[in-house]
Amino acid sequence: MDAGILSYIIFTPMAMAFVLMISKADAPTTRNFAFLTGIVILVLSFKVFLDFEPVSYMQFIEFHPWIENYGISYYIGIDGFSLVILILIAVLVPSGYLLLWEGRTKGYWISMLLIESGMLGALFSLDLILFYFFWETMVLPVFLIIGMFGHEEKVYSTLKFTIYTISGSLFMFLAILYIGIAFHNEFGLWSFQLIDLTKITILSPIEKFWLFWAFMIAFMVKIPLFPLHGWLLETYKNAPTGGVFLLSSFMAKLGVYGIIRFVMPLFPNLFKEYSSFFVWLGLFGLIYFGIAALMQDNIKKMFAYSSASHLGFIVAGIFALNKYAMLGALFLVIAHAMATGGLFLLVGKIHFYLRTFNISKLGGIAKIAPLFTLFFAIFLFSIVGLPGTNGFVAEFMIIVGSFKRSITMGMVSALTVIVAASFMFWMFQRAVLQDSINDTSKMKDLNYYEVLGLMPVAIVIVVMGIYPDLFTLKIEPTIYYYLHDILKIGI
Amino acid sequence: MNIYLLWIILSPLLGSLVLGAMYLYSVKIKKISDIVFAAIALVTPFVSFIFTFMLFLKLYNGSNDMRYTLFKWLKVAKFDVNITFLADHLSVFMALFVTFIGWLIHIYAVGYMKGDEGYGKFFSYFNLFLGMMLLLVLGNNPVIMFFGWEGVGLCSYLLISFYYKDAQNVIAGNKAFIVNRIGDFGFIIGLSILFIYVGINGFDYVSVQQHIATVPKPTLSLIAFFLFIGAMGKSAQIPLYVWLPDAMAGPTPVSALIHAATMVTAGVYMVSRFHFLYSLTPAIGEFIAIVGALSSLFAAVIAIKQRDIKKILAYSTISQLGYMFVAVGLGFYGSGLFHVFTHAFFKALLFMGAGAVILQLHHEQDIFHMGRMKDASKIIYYTFLIATLAICGIFPFAGFFSKDEILFDVFASHHYILWAIELFTAGLTAYYMFRLFFTVFIAPKSSKRIDKPETLSSVVTYPLIVLAIGSLLCGFIGVPKIMGGSNFVAHWFLMFGDEDIKSSGMVEFLLMGLNSIVVLVGIYIAYKKFAIIDLNREIKLSGIIYNKFYIDEIYNMLFVKNLQKISNFIGKIFDRKFIDGTVMMFAKSFYNMGEFVSILQNGNVRFYAFSMLLGASAFFTYLIYVMG
Repeated sequence: MDAGILSYIIFTPMAMAFVLMISKADAPTTRNFAFLTGIVILVLSFKVFLDFEPVSYMQFIEFHPWIENYGISYYIGIDGFSLVILILIAVLVPSGYLLLWEGRTKGYWISMLLIESGMLGALFSLDLILFYFFWETMVLPVFLIIGMFGHEEKVYSTLKFTIYTISGSLFMFLAILYIGIAFHNEFGLWSFQLIDLTKITILSPIEKFWLFWAFMIAFMVKIPLFPLHGWLLETYKNAPTGGVFLLSSFMAKLGVYGIIRFVMPLFPNLFKEYSSFFVWLGLFGLIYFGIAALMQDNIKKMFAYSSASHLGFIVAGIFALNKYAMLGALFLVIAHAMATGGLFLLVGKIHFYLRTFNISKLGGIAKIAPLFTLFFAIFLFSIVGLPGTNGFVAEFMIIVGSFKRSITMGMVSALTVIVAASFMFWMFQRAVLQDSINDTSKMKDLNYYEVLGLMPVAIVIVVMGIYPDLFTLKIEPTIYYYLHDILKIGI
Repeated sequence: MNIYLLWIILSPLLGSLVLGAMYLYSVKIKKISDIVFAAIALVTPFVSFIFTFMLFLKLYNGSNDMRYTLFKWLKVAKFDVNITFLADHLSVFMALFVTFIGWLIHIYAVGYMKGDEGYGKFFSYFNLFLGMMLLLVLGNNPVIMFFGWEGVGLCSYLLISFYYKDAQNVIAGNKAFIVNRIGDFGFIIGLSILFIYVGINGFDYVSVQQHIATVPKPTLSLIAFFLFIGAMGKSAQIPLYVWLPDAMAGPTPVSALIHAATMVTAGVYMVSRFHFLYSLTPAIGEFIAIVGALSSLFAAVIAIKQRDIKKILAYSTISQLGYMFVAVGLGFYGSGLFHVFTHAFFKALLFMGAGAVILQLHHEQDIFHMGRMKDASKIIYYTFLIATLAICGIFPFAGFFSKDEILFDVFASHHYILWAIELFTAGLTAYYMFRLFFTVFIAPKSSKRIDKPETLSSVVTYPLIVLAIGSLLCGFIGVPKIMGGSNFVAHWFLMFGDEDIKSSGMVEFLLMGLNSIVVLVGIYIAYKKFAIIDLNREIKLSGIIYNKFYIDEIYNMLFVKNLQKISNFIGKIFDRKFIDGTVMMFAKSFYNMGEFVSILQNGNVRFYAFSMLLGASAFFTYLIYVMG
């Protein structure tokens, strides 16, 4: 069964989407099948997790020639990093579906399935053309979902999102082609496999410099890192709940993943050379976006900035070049995806009942909806990094890692304990806790399947916070491999 | 026997979980009776206390330190931290009064919170707090301490904003949390640097202590300084004290347990725990002592002009914590911890007494709207008197021994200015405490006071009696040698190697006498001014002291308002106009090109996909042609 299991994981949602598209199924049926697909992916991913050996090299490899003349192949596999994100997607997507259960159309569910396939494909790809193919595949349905089901100026948002991501990806695409040709020039044959492309020696420093930045810009847009975040605010504000959920929980993380998977092995020396720059850029983003979040009245805008703030912190962790920060960053990838995803889904519920995202129009929810408030609080605590949540472990390790790099960096990174707390608790007070003059009596508490959806997420958040060592076993060899063998940093 | 350590902590944590689940069940499905909640809530702290007491006896009989390892928390490279609990003389000493007083306040709260709709939730939080506090105290390494440290901060937030519907309470909770977080910012910096320098050899206290001398001196001072910032936040010292008075928004049992007896002393515990670090950095120690002395004076000055009974007690807590920091800062850990211990008794008692008065008067907190409460309940009156005498340091009440010892240590180690400040503060303390006492209990009744104060159930009053006995007797564990005592406390804390200060008995007796005179003067002035004060006359308080030196307003202007301005500027103007604008300008050129080919934008997705493929292939072919 292991043979081809990754392909099943990639293509099940896509196949399901096509079947549903041509069938006459109505929205609830489509939704049920989408959820079922999510469960199938979850089961398959769990199988992968169990069979995954705690070693550094690629596993579950599948290789099929695709466009043989140019050495483009369907070449997929996973290591510790991809495993982490796979489990994340597998666990979180069904939860998301349960929270989106009511009132979505057929097109919405089909788009969700297509996005899932695109993300998983990009996650497993070890061939750069294949990666690019999936990278774009996952963006297309995002345009649709925002354009069709978004709020307010949704067309403008779609346009902006398009301009940013497409131009970002375009740079990367050119860079991929350039590297492929360089490989051909050096070795006389075609290949776009990552391992092959890392062997190129003929690129001049100038060429490498441009290629490095071409890749980085594509990923920086997706994450987004300062100053390429212009699309973020409008898109998050106007995208429908499902879209924001996928964007914030997974796609932003795939940007981080892309840096680790491709930029690090292709340009190890530049990665090290620019590491200080990116740590500082990340830390700057942490504070800049954190401050910007404080006075936002639209809850989704606040979370958009809050996300960007944490992603800056993740990037700082990746570039700090030691095991502590790297592990912390991976933990934060998971912690942030769960917490922020959960929060966006819950905010979606608020909008579903009360038709507003404005903090000043909310209040008095805690009394009406205690379960809602409980889950909201758990996710919020994880964002703030309170002990007992995985957010705590993540922030703590990144801070320790930053100190390992330099005392100054460490001190700036420690500001994270204040940044999120400053706006999150204030928002919680105004939007959820305190009584207000607004009539929020239409709000309803979570029902049983919504609780069922959020429960696993909350449990993972807490278990990872109390017993993090359980989760490090399978990723530690990979971290070691990347730092020691790829970046050649003595540990 | 080591497994007791686990159960001490697990018992309240499990209690919290069970109570929380039951509360949700009670809210969502079927009402559960308060008695069930109360029963569970009372058992768990008691279990902790019994087990702690048994560990105490074991240590008392000469046992070595005990440890219990639960599991490996996290191992990455050299960062290798276990969840291990430690019972040594320091941790068990702390845990002993935390569990005992915690248990008493739980009993008190059973009566105090009666009929509250959040009854189950309250005890769930209360148990959680106790568990986190014990984690902080009993952890075997600084990481667990930090875990508990942040955990108690969370519980403090939850309990201050317990009545969350009123925005003011939540704002007070937010303030407490964020100010504490500023402290934690310092704590985590200190912790991380400590780890980078010595943690790689193992990060439990013993390993850290063994290798601490290898750290360069300036770095050591840096660590000590930043760790102390954490203590400033948690223990409400200048300049991070501002959250504590506002924290009184929480229900009174919370003020008694968290914001008086236990959590706020965590900073003192932390400095004592890192005594091996602070003894190598005497300059930072002096700094701590100065901060402590200034805080004690400053808070005492503010307290003399306040009218809210709980706020007065809050400022007095800051002031007493200042005494403790003076002691530990100068290296007299035993004396500092002795004061932590006695303070826990009489301050918890003061708060519980105040809470009882507040309950009797249907939530009246203004002391000038009270008067003549002496007649309302003899138990409350006498226990409150004992507590007041204890905090003032009248012989033979608990505060006498502990405060006197601190004053003596400070004097004998030649810190005369600090000594003078603390002596003066002792006088102020006597004044503002008896001002409160006379106004509330003795002075003729105010017309604003209700005529028939509520009679309280014995669940509320009996714990007062137990604590009053404690406040009367617990000082005797630290009777100085000169008075013929054996000074158990000094013996117990031999681990710190406190300097045994030699001085002639004459000086010590003279200081005691001087101390007592200053206190009596304070009481006398208070008596003159307040014992027969006419509460029906409008009592107006104003001026800089009543307004707490406008510190809150200054902080608000300096930090909060400016931060909001910057946030508005960045989030609403700069980010959109400047950053996005610049990037979009680059994009404009692409966009203009797009205008030109907009005929192709026909909305047909398959067409887009096709043209994408076409374009990509064309480009690809071109590149191969040019370069290949």
